[in-house]
Amino acid sequence: MRPALTHHNPVTEPPIQPADPEDKTRNPVEGVLSVDGSTTLGWQERWQRFPWSLVLLLTLTSLIGLVVLYSAAGVHLNQPESNSSQYLLRQGGRFLLGLGLLFVVAIVGSERVYRRYAYLAYGLTLALLVAVFLFGSISMGARRWLDIGFMRLQPSELMKVTLVLALARYYHDRAVVSGFGLRDLAVPLLLIVLPVGLILKQPDLGTAIIIATVGTVVIVIAGLSWKMIALSFCLLAAGLPIAWNGLHDYQRQRVYTLFFPEHDPLGSGYHIIQSKIAVGSGGFLGKGFLNGSQSHLDFLPERHTDFIFSVLAEEWGFVGCITLITLYLLITARGLLIAASAQHRFGLLTAVGFIALFSFQVVINIGMVIGLLPVVGIPLPLISYGGSSMITLLFSMGLIAHVAIYAKHHRKTI
Amino acid sequence: MFDEKPKTFQIDARRRLLVLGGGLGLLFSALTSRLFYLQLLKSGTFRDMADDNRISLQLLSASRGRIFDSQGRLLVENHPDYQLVAIPELASQHLRRSPRDRSGLIRLLELLKPLLQLDEKEIQYVLKQASRQRAFLPLTVKTHLTWEEVSLVETRIHELPGVTIEVQPQRHYRTGTLASHAIGYLGEVNEKDQNRFSDIDFRPGDLIGKSGVERAMEPSLRGMDGLREIEVNAYGRQVRELRRTPPRPGQDITLTLDMDLQQEAERALTESSGGTGALVMMRPYSGELLVMASQPAYDPNQFVNGFTPEEWKQLNQDPNRPLINKAIQGQYPPGSTFKMVVVLAALRLGKLSEHDTIYCPGYTTRQEHRFYCWKLRGHGSVSLHQALAQSCDVYFYELAERVGIDAIHQQALRLGLGSLTGIALEGERAGLIPSRAWKKSTHKAGWYPGETLITAIGQGYVLSTPMQLAVMISAIANGGAVYRPYLVKPERPAPNPSGQKAGPAAIAPLWHNHFRPEQMTLVHAALEEVVHGALGTARTAKLNGVRMAGKTGTSQVARHRRTQSGSLLKTTQRRLMDHAMFVAYAPAQQPEIAISVIVEHGGGGGTNAAPVAKRVMDLYFAKQRGESLPAANLPGSTPMQPNPDDELAEDPPDETPDHP
Repeated sequence: MRPALTHHNPVTEPPIQPADPEDKTRNPVEGVLSVDGSTTLGWQERWQRFPWSLVLLLTLTSLIGLVVLYSAAGVHLNQPESNSSQYLLRQGGRFLLGLGLLFVVAIVGSERVYRRYAYLAYGLTLALLVAVFLFGSISMGARRWLDIGFMRLQPSELMKVTLVLALARYYHDRAVVSGFGLRDLAVPLLLIVLPVGLILKQPDLGTAIIIATVGTVVIVIAGLSWKMIALSFCLLAAGLPIAWNGLHDYQRQRVYTLFFPEHDPLGSGYHIIQSKIAVGSGGFLGKGFLNGSQSHLDFLPERHTDFIFSVLAEEWGFVGCITLITLYLLITARGLLIAASAQHRFGLLTAVGFIALFSFQVVINIGMVIGLLPVVGIPLPLISYGGSSMITLLFSMGLIAHVAIYAKHHRKTI
Repeated sequence: MFDEKPKTFQIDARRRLLVLGGGLGLLFSALTSRLFYLQLLKSGTFRDMADDNRISLQLLSASRGRIFDSQGRLLVENHPDYQLVAIPELASQHLRRSPRDRSGLIRLLELLKPLLQLDEKEIQYVLKQASRQRAFLPLTVKTHLTWEEVSLVETRIHELPGVTIEVQPQRHYRTGTLASHAIGYLGEVNEKDQNRFSDIDFRPGDLIGKSGVERAMEPSLRGMDGLREIEVNAYGRQVRELRRTPPRPGQDITLTLDMDLQQEAERALTESSGGTGALVMMRPYSGELLVMASQPAYDPNQFVNGFTPEEWKQLNQDPNRPLINKAIQGQYPPGSTFKMVVVLAALRLGKLSEHDTIYCPGYTTRQEHRFYCWKLRGHGSVSLHQALAQSCDVYFYELAERVGIDAIHQQALRLGLGSLTGIALEGERAGLIPSRAWKKSTHKAGWYPGETLITAIGQGYVLSTPMQLAVMISAIANGGAVYRPYLVKPERPAPNPSGQKAGPAAIAPLWHNHFRPEQMTLVHAALEEVVHGALGTARTAKLNGVRMAGKTGTSQVARHRRTQSGSLLKTTQRRLMDHAMFVAYAPAQQPEIAISVIVEHGGGGGTNAAPVAKRVMDLYFAKQRGESLPAANLPGSTPMQPNPDDELAEDPPDETPDHP
């Protein structure tokens, strides 16, 4: 019989020691948490160790999102039937649903279960992606969705979560001391390349980039040797010009417009130019709630989904933008602290993966809205209108919260 | 050993977390600095761009000022032009059969077709226009609607969704061809006009004065267009009006021209022997123009409605040049009217006294070349009086020799000849007064004494416009003051740039000749003799009840052919016939008006030009006396009597009139 994959790893985890119930100063987690994940923390302790600050930050950000969404989805001349309160109720409902999921994942769930089913979840999501590739429904020129009766599922969103879980599981099971070598890279790379290829095929460049980046971050944090990191950098630097020369002219042109949209002001450049106008014209204090001319006169495209940040920037100005970015930064910092205090590698790598997922989406979305990065379809976490991304995001935050509850060194924070 | 390794890992992982956190921090600060750049450093630029996006400007055109004559009669107004305007979107909403049907405009045009007599070409044009603009923007279907069409559409307006009748002001010249050269016409703005008014932003298709007063008074007439700022959305649909600056209408303008006199002048010119020509009537003490006529004329309304190519070709290629304002653009040899200049030059130099006489045998010989007097029999012994009254050429040949070309040149310039009169109309010609310097620079040749003789009788190189002659005769009538002619009543008295003492009309002359009064008396008496003397060249043109003083002239167009004996061959080709000229002022003692007439190819000045002046002068004095328009002014009521003593008017005695 094969040993269970979730067996105690003596290298990466401290030895199991029976707890001394008489020790008053002990960390309740230390030694108590069994390797196979059977927790011994009581409900009350879990409640107390719950990272409330993280949830508070998430709620604040979502509330800002609802305010901006109200303006972005406001009544427009050309769509008199659209109703902003409808948008608001749906998005608020999703947030509450996601928040409930967060609590369940964080308090009720157990790391053992997550670890055990990580590969299975990954496999299922990959199967869903293949299903999308074969019979997904097409909308706006891309094959991204699976119609399953009551809702439209976007498996690429799920893949963001399950890939992180699978990679964390892989490195959790490997005992490595002085950094990974090339051989330990094969399986994780395959884990990344398979979904990335399928998602690129949809095509959804943005999600593919995010997944590839997050996967790489997890591998690096897991202990890729610095030598390997340097080597891959060199390979990348050397490979890029060769790849560029191998491209067809029209492909190069496409890449070119991706990075310099201003050269095509009425075509692909239109969105980014209008978005920059909206952001820039907001100024320091903004034009005021519901007063953004760029958003309310239909100059801004996709203003309640991918370009919602420019609505915020136009109506609330630099002050509003800095407030939101600060919230994002606090969430990121809190998540990284949780990761640093994780009991196991699995917890650490999941937390890091999810935080990287979260903040890279923020950076790419805002960067694209303000004209720093090419326009790829990435929603702004917690703000953009959309169910899948909101639910998966709060689910991943639930896992981080779970890691925080079982942190090695628990600090009393709010 | 097992205890050490996990620690190593944990520490390493934390270090990497720190690196990751630092990297993310860098990315976030990149976002922040980009936002700082966009929202704080460049926010002005982007705010302007956002305003450009949302604010659309609409011009509210100002109505152009009207033009009145000196009696307050409306000459030029803005006539409402009715246009049918349709909004395709509204038409589609009400006329479509299904929600996706977009052919509402075609149906609407089918409904309008019988009402407006639209032809297929017009319909295609409208549909083409419609395909170029958004469906909610108004579209002009037809302009220049007649009253019947307007009422037909109005009664069915409820069956025609999206249709409105709009009124656009259109320039209307009520008097048609009357005074058309003075009033001018409008045309579409071009690059030159844009340069002329660099501070006005013209739109293509804007109308601007192209000639006459319409052009000269453009800044007053134009007014200031208003502006409507509207907020539009990304599709160009109006959301709300932000601001409205009402247009400032152009100022009305009153001309100094009197349309009664103008009409009489144009009629008289048309009915004269030549049929074409120019007439200028001005007040000698101010330069105020009462008449500025040029025949043939054009109808400025045609410029508004547009020409057919044939009409335009005809107007442009007419040998009588209707588009030319001959009063200021026609340059003619002044003929004998120039003789006054020689007299004044001689008097100024003291080379002439009242009783000097010269014997005229009918010609004089210089360097074996014969210079003929118009009267081949000769005038005999003539004094200054007789010489002017009978326009003896030999007298002036002799006088010219005494005075010399330099003095003649100088005196002519002092009387306003050879330079622009300064009337504020476009295209004025300066004429030409020859001098030694001019001949040297233009012809690279010296001045020949014979040319002085020819110049003295207003032939040869000398050229002048009827306007210049009017200024000259005014200066002679008023004792030497040269005024700038004007035809728009000034709102305020004009400033006095020349520093000259203002004349009786409180207008300062450009300059003053300061002729000696006794010399002027002499000249005035001689000029009176022209009309009232027994042998005067204009004695058939005496006015009713007012004494007039003047000078006839016959300006030679082609070299006269003479028989062996020196007598003149008469030409029958109109193109080669002489121009008839007449300059005069009246009343002779206290001049009120001065006049200058040219009848192109009319023949002798006394017979053909003086009666034209008489008709207009008579009407002027009849109006002054409060009489209604005298019946005598009806066409044909004053048959022209040939004056046997008119210059060049007599048949050579040894020739038969029908000789070729």
